[in-house]
Amino acid sequence: MFCLHFLGGSAREWEDTKRYLDPHLICIPLDLPGFGDAAHIARTSVDEMADYVIDRIAERGQSRWWIAGHSMGAKIALVIARRAEDGDPKLAGLDGLVLLAGSPPSPEPMSDDKRRDMIAWISADEKTRTLRAGAFIDQNTGAPLNEAARTAAIDDVLRADPKAWTAWLQEGSREDWRRRIGILRTPALVLSGSKDADLGPAAQICLMLPHLANARHVVIEGASHLLPIECPKAVADLICEMRTLPIAVASDPACVLDSYASLIASHRVNSRLRAALAARASAGSAPYRPCVLDAVEFSILRALIDRVLPQSSDTCIDIGARIEARLSDGFGDGWRFADLPSDGEAYAAALRTLDAAARATHGIGFTALPDETKEALITAVAAGELPTVAGDLDGRQMTKWFEDLRSDAVRIYLAHPAALARLGFSGIGAGGDDVADMPGFSEFRINSREPWEPISEAEAGR
Amino acid sequence: MNLDSMRRYATDEVVDAVVIGTGAGGAPLLARLAAAGLKVVALEAGPNFDPVRFAFDETLADEIYWTEERLSGGTTPEAFGANNSGTGVGGSTLHWGAFTPRADQRDLKLRTETGEGIDWPLDYDDLKPFYEQVEGFIGVSGPAAYPWDSQRRYPLSPVPRNAPARIMAQACEGLGIRVADAPAAVVSRDFAQEGGGTRKACINCGFCHQGCRNGAKTSMDVTYLPLAVAHGAQIRPMCRVHGTERDGMGRITAVTYRQDGTERRQRCAAVFLCAGAVESPRLLLHLGLANGSGQVGRNYMGHVATQVWGTFAGEVRMNRGYPSSLISEDMVRPADADFAGGYLMQSLGVLPLTFGNTVARSRGLWGPALTDYLARYNHFAGIGINGETLPCDANVLTLSDEVDAFGVPKARIDFGYGPNEDRLNDHATRTMTAIWEAAGASDIWVAQRVAHTLGTCRMGRDGDTAVVDPFGRSFEVPNLWISDGSTFPSSLSANPALTIMALSLRTAEAFLRSR
Ligand SMILES: Cc1cc2nc3c(=O)[nH]c(=O)nc-3n(C[C@H](O)[C@H](O)[C@H](O)COP(=O)(O)OP(=O)(O)OC[C@H]3O[C@@H](n4cnc5c(N)ncnc54)[C@H](O)[C@@H]3O)c2cc1C
Ligand code: SF4
Repeated sequence: MFCLHFLGGSAREWEDTKRYLDPHLICIPLDLPGFGDAAHIARTSVDEMADYVIDRIAERGQSRWWIAGHSMGAKIALVIARRAEDGDPKLAGLDGLVLLAGSPPSPEPMSDDKRRDMIAWISADEKTRTLRAGAFIDQNTGAPLNEAARTAAIDDVLRADPKAWTAWLQEGSREDWRRRIGILRTPALVLSGSKDADLGPAAQICLMLPHLANARHVVIEGASHLLPIECPKAVADLICEMRTLPIAVASDPACVLDSYASLIASHRVNSRLRAALAARASAGSAPYRPCVLDAVEFSILRALIDRVLPQSSDTCIDIGARIEARLSDGFGDGWRFADLPSDGEAYAAALRTLDAAARATHGIGFTALPDETKEALITAVAAGELPTVAGDLDGRQMTKWFEDLRSDAVRIYLAHPAALARLGFSGIGAGGDDVADMPGFSEFRINSREPWEPISEAEAGR
Repeated sequence: MNLDSMRRYATDEVVDAVVIGTGAGGAPLLARLAAAGLKVVALEAGPNFDPVRFAFDETLADEIYWTEERLSGGTTPEAFGANNSGTGVGGSTLHWGAFTPRADQRDLKLRTETGEGIDWPLDYDDLKPFYEQVEGFIGVSGPAAYPWDSQRRYPLSPVPRNAPARIMAQACEGLGIRVADAPAAVVSRDFAQEGGGTRKACINCGFCHQGCRNGAKTSMDVTYLPLAVAHGAQIRPMCRVHGTERDGMGRITAVTYRQDGTERRQRCAAVFLCAGAVESPRLLLHLGLANGSGQVGRNYMGHVATQVWGTFAGEVRMNRGYPSSLISEDMVRPADADFAGGYLMQSLGVLPLTFGNTVARSRGLWGPALTDYLARYNHFAGIGINGETLPCDANVLTLSDEVDAFGVPKARIDFGYGPNEDRLNDHATRTMTAIWEAAGASDIWVAQRVAHTLGTCRMGRDGDTAVVDPFGRSFEVPNLWISDGSTFPSSLSANPALTIMALSLRTAEAFLRSR
C-alpha cells in the first residue's frame, strides 16, 4: 500500500499505522514533492505530484497494490486511480483505495481567510512559524497528541518547502477535478473524523463519495483531521477489515418477479418488447459514469430521487443513471418550459441551487442532510419557496424543474419491468409476434381478470 | 406502409402539387388529388413505419412523436411531444386516440350565438358531406342511434366498452346525463379498406396512442395514403422541408428540403402545407411567407382537456380495451353555463407511463405517496373533457432565438386560459367530480391538461384578418394552400382530426375546381 501524506506531513506520518498493519500489508509511505525528504523537488500541481508518485509506484513494480491518501494525498491518490482505471500501463494492479479525511476532486471547502492566514505564517519568521505550526497541528487533532508525535508533526510542517505549501493552498487544493475523476470503480474505504471541520463526514458524503461507485465510509468518533497520527490503530484495523470483508460491488438490484418474468417470456409478448424490457432491466448493471452532470451533481440527483420516488429495496431501479443517460443522449420529449434553460443545463443548475440552499440553511450539502430535512427542502421546492440567490434558478423555475424531474423519474420507473410487475400491468401481454393472431383483450368488466393476467404485488401480498 | 412499388417523380419534374406533411390534413387531399390524376409528391419529415413494429409499449412509441424541442410559455404552458405531436408517414394519426366526434353546428357560429370567439367562414352543411365521406372511407364505429343527432348513422357497430366507460355510463344514467358509445375511427370488424387491403378488427389492446399494431385504428398510413399511392402519388419519408423558391409573381416554383443530409429541391405547380399547427406557422414565419395579415402564429389554441381521476374498490384494469369508448355531448351547451361554448366528455383508460406522467405533473405527488399511488394502477379510472378555447391575442406562436439542427428557429408557444376557459373548466370539473362521486370513486382528483394544437393560420373571408380563405388557399401566395389544424379559426368542442380530414377533402375539391 503506497501511502501519501497531508499538507505539511511527510512519509513519517504513517509510521505507527505501518507498524499496526505489518505483516498483513506492506506499507510504502512516500514523500510528496515539496515535503519531507522531497522538500527540494518543485512539482506543485496536482498533475505533477501524481506523475511523481506514479514513477515511484512504477519503480517498485508491484503486481497488486493499494493506494492510501491522507487529505491532500487523497486527491493525488484519486488522480492516480483514475489513470489506473483508464489503463495506464505503469499502473496495472490497483486493487483498492483508502482515503483518509480526503481532499475531494472538487475545490476543497476552506474559507479564504484561513487560506490567507496559512500562507502568511508559513513564510514568517522562525518563531512565528514554530508557534503557528504547533497551533496548526493542535487545531487538526481531536484529543491532544502525545508529545513525540506532536513534535514530529510540527517538525514536518517546518521541513516543508513554503512554496509547495503555498501552491497547494492557492492552486492545488482549488483545482477542479470533478469531471476528470468522474466515478471510480476501484473499491474504496473512506475514513473521516467526527471532529474534522472542513473535511469531516458531511464533506466526505457530499464531495468524496459521489466519485466512488464502490465505497465504504466509516466515521472515526472523536478524531479530527490527522487520522493516521491520531488513531493509527483504528485506521490500521479498518484497513485490515477491508481486506477480510471486501467492499461489495454495487449494481442495480431491481429484479423482476418470477411470475411476471414468465409472462414476459411467453408467446403473449412480442419479441421487440421482450428485448426492450430486458435491456431496461440490465441497463443498471455496470457502474454509471455521468456525462452531462458532474459526479457531485449526479449524487445530489440520486439522493433527491430517493426521496421523490422511493422504492422498496427489491425494486431499486437506478433512475438517476437513466435520467442522466437521457440528458447526455440529448433525446428530449419534444418541449420544455420556456423559462427554463435546456434540459441538461436546467438539471445541473437546479441541483446546484438545491445544494446551495441546503448549505445556506443547514450548513451542509443536500446529500448529507437527514431525511426529514431533505423533505422540508423538497417541500419548499415544490411550493416555489426555496431560498435561492441571484445566478441560481429562482423559486418559480425550481418548481417547474421539479415538475419535469417528477415526470422524468416516473416515466423511467414505469418503463422498467420490475415496476410494471409491481403494478400487475397486463398490457404487455396484448399480443406476440404473430400479428395475424393477437389475443388482445376480451374481458372488460370490473373485477374480472383474464386467467393469464398478472396481479399487482399489493394484491398478491394480501 | 409499403412504398416499394409506388410511382416516382424526378425532382426536376414540375409536379402538380407538393404536399408537406402526411397527417390528418395532408393525407386525404393527397389521395384525392392523385385519384384525380394529378402528379403529387408528399414530403414527410418523419420515417415510414411498418405497423407490425408497434410493440405495445409506451417508451418504444417515442419514435412516433415529434420530439424536437419546442418552448412552452404563457400561464398554462402546453406539453408537446407525446401529448399532441406526431411524426412519420401518417403524422399524428399514428398515435391519435381515434375519437371522432363531428363539430357541433353551434360551435361554428359561436360569435353569432354569444358575441364571443369568432364564426367560421363556413357552415355545418358545408362540412357534412365530407364528414360522411370520411367516416365511410376510414370506417368509423359508433352507436346505432346518436343521441345528439338523430340523422347520423355510423358505418360500423361500436367497439366494446372498457371498464371506465362502464363505470361512467352507470353513474351518468343515475345523474340524468346522456351517454353513448363513442364514435371511434377503429374498425370493430374486419374491414376492406378501399385502396388498401383488409384491416383486421380491433383486438381491444388499449395501445391506440402507441400506434396500432394491426391496422384496426385509422391512421393515414392504413387509409388515405395507400389509396394515394395506388393512384400514383409518391411519398418521400425523412424529407424535411425548410424552404421554397418563388417566381416574380410570388408563386412558389419549388420546395427545398433535406433528405439524409442532402439538400434537394422539388419543382412544383402548387404547394399544400400540412405540417400541423406548430410546424406550418413556424415554416411560414421563418420564410416570411403568406403573412401580410400578420396573423401567422396568432390565436394559437389548445383544448381545455381537464381530467378527473378516481380509485375504485374493484379492479378496473383500464389498459384493456379501446381507451375512450364512451362519449357525452350533453355539455356542449350546458343549461347553467356561465361561459360561451361547451365541452365533450369521454371516459378514459390510460396506460401506466402516460398516467404516471399526469400524476407526477398535475397531482404533484412525490415520496412514498407517489410510489404507493402508482402501485394501485389497476384500480383507477378517469373521465376527461375536450373543451372550447376561444381565440385570444395573448396566445401566440413566435420564433425563439434558439435554432434547431436545420438552422430554423425553434417555435415558442405562449398559451394561457382566459376567463371563459377558466369558467368552462370549473363547470366541467364540477360535473366530472359529481359523476365520479356518483360512481363511488374514492380519492378523486383533478388533472389540469391542455390538448391538441390548433390555430395560427386561421381561415377567414378576407386577407386582412386571415391567412387562408374558407377553402384553405393563401390570400397572398396564389398557389399555396394550407390544410391542417392551423386553419381553425376557433377550437370547437369536438376533437379536431375528423374535421381536419373533412376540410382536407374540401380543400382538394376546391383546388381541382380552380385548375
Ligand atoms: C396522443 C394524442 C391523441 C389524440 N387523440 C385524438 C383523438 O382521439 N381525436 C382527434 O380528433 N384528435 C386527436 N388527436 C389530435 C390529432 O391527432 C391531430 O389534431 C391531427 O392529427 C392533426 O393533423 P395535422 O394534419 O394538423 O398534423 P399532423 O397529423 O401532426 O401531421 C403533420 C405532419 O407534418 C410533418 N411535418 C412537420 N413539419 C414538416 C416539415 N418541415 N417537412 C416535412 N414534414 C413535416 C410531421 O412529421 C407530421 O407527420 C390526438 C393527438 C395526440 C397526440
Ligand atoms: S385498441 Fe384496437 S384500435 Fe386501438 S391499438 Fe388496439 S387494436 Fe388498434
